[in-house]
Amino acid sequence: MKKNILFLIILSMFVSSTTLAKDEKGEKEEYKLDLSEIEKKPYHLGGFGEFRPVLSGLDKSAAFYKINFYNRNEGRTLTDYNFRMQFDGSYEEGIARVFTRINYDLANTYQGWSNDTTIYEGYLSLKPSNSLAIEVGKKTLKWGKGYAWNPVAFLDRPKDPNDPELALEGFWVASADFIKSFSGPLKTLSFTSVFLPVIYNDINTDFGGKNQLFGTFGNSASPVSPGNQINGAGKLYLLLYDTDIDFIVFSGGSKTTRYGVDFSRNISTNFEIHGEFAHFEDFQQIYIDSRGNIHSSTYDTQSYLLGLRYLTERDTTYILEYYHNGTGFTKGQEQDFFSFVDQSYNTYLATGQDSFLAKAQKLAQSGYGNPNFMRDYLYLRVSQKEPFDILYFTPAFTTIWNLKDYSVSLAPELLSTGITNLELRLKGIFPMGNGYTEFAEKPYNYRIEFRARYYF
Amino acid sequence: MKKIVITFILMFIAIPAYALDGQQLLVQIDRNLNPESYEMYRKIINVEPDGKKKEYTLFSVKKGVDKIAALFLAPASEKGRSTLRLGDNMWLYIPNVGKPIRITSLQSVIGGVFNNADILNLDYAAEYNVEKVDESGNEYLLYLKAKTKSVAYDKVKMWADKSRKVPSKIECLTEGNMLIKTLYFKDIKDLEGGIVRPSVIDTDSPLYKDYKSIMIFAKIKKRDYKDEVFTLTFMPNIDSLR
Repeated sequence: MKKNILFLIILSMFVSSTTLAKDEKGEKEEYKLDLSEIEKKPYHLGGFGEFRPVLSGLDKSAAFYKINFYNRNEGRTLTDYNFRMQFDGSYEEGIARVFTRINYDLANTYQGWSNDTTIYEGYLSLKPSNSLAIEVGKKTLKWGKGYAWNPVAFLDRPKDPNDPELALEGFWVASADFIKSFSGPLKTLSFTSVFLPVIYNDINTDFGGKNQLFGTFGNSASPVSPGNQINGAGKLYLLLYDTDIDFIVFSGGSKTTRYGVDFSRNISTNFEIHGEFAHFEDFQQIYIDSRGNIHSSTYDTQSYLLGLRYLTERDTTYILEYYHNGTGFTKGQEQDFFSFVDQSYNTYLATGQDSFLAKAQKLAQSGYGNPNFMRDYLYLRVSQKEPFDILYFTPAFTTIWNLKDYSVSLAPELLSTGITNLELRLKGIFPMGNGYTEFAEKPYNYRIEFRARYYF
Repeated sequence: MKKIVITFILMFIAIPAYALDGQQLLVQIDRNLNPESYEMYRKIINVEPDGKKKEYTLFSVKKGVDKIAALFLAPASEKGRSTLRLGDNMWLYIPNVGKPIRITSLQSVIGGVFNNADILNLDYAAEYNVEKVDESGNEYLLYLKAKTKSVAYDKVKMWADKSRKVPSKIECLTEGNMLIKTLYFKDIKDLEGGIVRPSVIDTDSPLYKDYKSIMIFAKIKKRDYKDEVFTLTFMPNIDSLR
């Protein structure tokens, strides 16, 4: 039955890329651009609606299966049905503009129905001149040049390397951009300053709040100072000798001081390179040993990324990135965690006591369960535009290698945009590796998701 | 003898007066197509062999010889995306992604026959040197050679109307003279602001057999902008210029 559904989905994607698209066929070749099409309105309303069913083949021997499903029997597969509506709205008057992006999720999973409404962004923007912009409200900053990871994105939530282009929820900030252009090797200079307050239980609590038992890792919060805090960051951007360069600094009460630099440059008409480097002062890492004792160590560390984007004559795009995550766990720490989960599960089976598994669950939520929680990764995405003359059809293949434990995630994908404003995507994720490795301990052997998104 | 000397003198005076300065002609063609700094509305239509169409509406602003930006107004799935070109540097801003990413000139943000260099096209005189000009009937034929390796097409052959000094056809070629695409300039119209030029560019390519892309121009207005408009930081705000 499920195979039949999968076949129908793939068939529908091909059909939408070819046959159905004929709906838009014009009877007569008439090319015109009506002025009504370009009339500017002070307001804008738009967004998309999405349906995303997900089929997961469960791996009952995996650590994250044991953590999540130890007291349930969900059979061999799980099916989730996810619905999403995302609304964008803006209104402009003179130098002022208000913008909001609201996300509504409705999901039916093994835990039943759930829904969540989140303001992803909502801010007021003032532009007294083309050189100055002031923004106040909730917004995403998305600093950094990397595609899958951004070690210098000190003020953003970490993105999912499996879907790096998804919109993310922002933080409440006040920011100012000053821009200056020049002639000569330095073409552009801009400076961005950001003020980010944390008011416990009210504003930006999850940026680094009070009473957090375990800090999150990577680019997220660590519980350096609890309670209300003030944070500030600055970014100096230069377009110098045809190279984008950013210098970034962050300091404040919620996280330790950190510095970053990134760059991006076109080497030729089809070849781009980019990189990021971040230095974290007094980074606090909390980890567990195989007997369940929590340890904490504080150290200065660095994360960096080097990447390229290359387009061949056959319209194949390669994105390759190497990422060193200095805030991640070592192989030994990873194995201790998985060993602790195994022991906790065995204790549960023997005694029915699940307190150790609850501890493991909490650790998973705060660090070990984050995407790519270890030290060294390689990311490769290969996408082919319109192969075999199938229009608006882009197959892609993404792999993420954990270079420390040699586990790997393989993700083939088919994308069809044959019908205006409708995007269909079929994607599979296949984690592979030996026991006690990152991808092998995922709760599923495979995950297949179909996403139908309609823009309005 | 006196007549022969006078004839020789006249010839030497007369020849420079009639010699065609190809580069100057190219600059004149550029100016007849667009003011050096402008705002412009365009629609790009990709037409497939079965007649299916996809349409994109863009608002573009340009300043000087090397700065141009474009904002997608339609369809809904592309609305708010913007592209920026500063010389050989190009970026794409996608509202969901939130940060500008570098793109290359041979990619296409919309698919179809037009690539990014066609959509964010600078003045021909800024990117090409005129190697030779032939005259035939009512047309010039300009042979253009890219000034640098970073230009999308190494060679360009441009047919231009002698009286109006606007292109009628352009062939884009590789260094080895392989044809990449042909642009046909059609339907000369007054596009407001005193700009009288072809209002439609039709293109086909042997690399995209039976496909074609069309660019339709609606409004071109001379307008000056501050340099700061053409920066990554300003990309999310291009709509405020309309």
